Amino acid sequence: MPARVVVIGLASDYGCQVQMTNMEDHLLDVLGTIDLSYWQLASSGRMPDEYDVAIVEGAVTTRDHVELLRKVRATAGGIIAIGACATGGGLPALVTHGDLEGHADRVYGERSSDVACGRISPMPVSAVIQVDYHVPGCPIDPAEFVTVMQRALRGMANRPPREPLCAACKIAENTCMYEAGIVCLGLVTRTGCGAKCVSLGRPCTGCRGVAKDANMAAARLIVAEHGVDPEAFESVLDLYNSASEDR
Amino acid sequence: MTTLTVEHVARIEGHGTISVDVTSGMVERIQMDIVEPARLFESMIIGRRFDEAPLITSRICGICSPNHTLTSIKAVESALGIEVSPRTRMLRELLVYGSYLQNHATHLYLFAAPDYVGLPSVFPLARTRPDIVARALTLKKLGNDLTTLIGGRAVHPVTAAIGGFTAEPSTTDLADFSERLHAAARDAADTVELFAGFTVPEFETSGDMLGLSSPDTYAIYDGDVCAMDAGWRRPVSEYPEFLSESVVSHSNAKHTTVDGRTFLVGALARVNLSWKRLMPAAQLVAEKAGFSRPSRNTFHNNLCQAIELVDCAQRCAHLCEALIENTGSSAPVSFEIRVGSGRGATEAPRGTLYHGISIDDSGVITAGDVITPTAQNLANLEADMRAFAPTVAGLPETEFVQQIEQLVRAYDPCLSCAVH
Repeated sequence: MPARVVVIGLASDYGCQVQMTNMEDHLLDVLGTIDLSYWQLASSGRMPDEYDVAIVEGAVTTRDHVELLRKVRATAGGIIAIGACATGGGLPALVTHGDLEGHADRVYGERSSDVACGRISPMPVSAVIQVDYHVPGCPIDPAEFVTVMQRALRGMANRPPREPLCAACKIAENTCMYEAGIVCLGLVTRTGCGAKCVSLGRPCTGCRGVAKDANMAAARLIVAEHGVDPEAFESVLDLYNSASEDR
Repeated sequence: MTTLTVEHVARIEGHGTISVDVTSGMVERIQMDIVEPARLFESMIIGRRFDEAPLITSRICGICSPNHTLTSIKAVESALGIEVSPRTRMLRELLVYGSYLQNHATHLYLFAAPDYVGLPSVFPLARTRPDIVARALTLKKLGNDLTTLIGGRAVHPVTAAIGGFTAEPSTTDLADFSERLHAAARDAADTVELFAGFTVPEFETSGDMLGLSSPDTYAIYDGDVCAMDAGWRRPVSEYPEFLSESVVSHSNAKHTTVDGRTFLVGALARVNLSWKRLMPAAQLVAEKAGFSRPSRNTFHNNLCQAIELVDCAQRCAHLCEALIENTGSSAPVSFEIRVGSGRGATEAPRGTLYHGISIDDSGVITAGDVITPTAQNLANLEADMRAFAPTVAGLPETEFVQQIEQLVRAYDPCLSCAVH
């Protein structure tokens, strides 16, 4: 019997679910081998009571999300968190800086209590339930997603890369952003993207999360040595990693 | 009284619930509850650096991220008085069109088509009509590949910066894409034929239709805002004066009206407003398929998306060719940071997208504003639901619900955009 898979969206931009469909050459090969029991984005039908693997996109931002995740954990054999929001809180976690109600008032004005009820401070999925597999990035890389999903379907261990991005950037023969005095988080961010942004002329903003092997203290020294404002480094780190315990 | 609810309407982007009160066959109340969680982007960007605005607001929507990126860039450029090169404008147009190809193909084939052939999703179609699914995936892939060619990846473009582009495609790649785009015109025309063949309900929306319009081209990257019924044309910079947003209790997305009236944005509005600027091939295919303009039938939004695919394939092929011949630069132009406020708009696949921004003298964002296409459409969508529901209230419950869902999907709503 093919594995029964459900896809669940929390607070997100759906970009990672879109990336799941952005492997047109392999879409039917991969999705054809599983029983995609529930995917609101692509198919009518209700969430089933039983399934094997749950793919979760988005940050936890409401009490309903917490309740839903606890149910999912009790049901699914394996849980895959996809994208920066689900794996690390992502950009939504930026509004935890300062007061949450203040942010809502700015957007909705005096009627903010009428809408967006049950709001809680945004957090990653792993802050609520145990997560078995992570696919980092904003957005995820479709090929990396397929690799992790195949591991999940076979019950194999997840082996995410531990080292930071700098080595991949050197291999790509990019000029270091710090030569131009530009804050780049490649020196602390988990590798695996092939240094795509730097190769295209943009600094790394840390969307794949802080690498397990990153040496934060050394990185901060390097930043200062290159005459880059340490506050600017911390500020860029806030973008995707405001909720990270590794920074 | 019976209350029907369709929780988490499928094959739309985001979480929305339709609820209908019916008493002895009469529809008493019908509304679209938008339960998509708010991420509070307009507040999130305050205190961040001005050049982070495009990166952050791109994440409002992973489906039309090129438009959010570029609209935010335009707002910043307007605030700082930055003028970009013609080459940059051409590349930006291509980036938007890549998004059109991928969005329209996805919506038409994956989300809308199953309604018309009575299937829950596109997946069973892969067995019975592999040719149709292959065509869908070819068009969608072409859109993604085009977005990747210009922007560096399919979702959240990397290369589009304030003032220009940090990387450009090679001439060889542009030539290759020109060929692929010409070849896609056939698939696009077949898409028009397919959707023209589907029977849609006889229905007319009562709302006005708004969109960007330009005397020079089919306006998707730039133009003035035009209202079809009201007959006015106004610059984008005046949008806070003619659009008014209000908070409604059943929706995390605000509703928008123009001079107190609901209105519609998107492919139907664009084709109606800018028919004369469509490529001749698109006009020809549309006329052959029996599309008569202006159409007020909301369900024709799907057919108009297909018509835009034909326009897009041919126009983008020409843009690639022009970029090969054009020798200008798209490197980001230099500029100075200053206090300022700016507004920008583009036509996203689902309609006009507005961004506004204010910056202080050190480049820190002090205010932000985003009005998305779906937020503009929601009030009109509910007005359409109220007008349409009584005409199908006699149908058995499943069919009634299916018809209402079909109306919702005709709008191609994007609820994460709508709430943001």
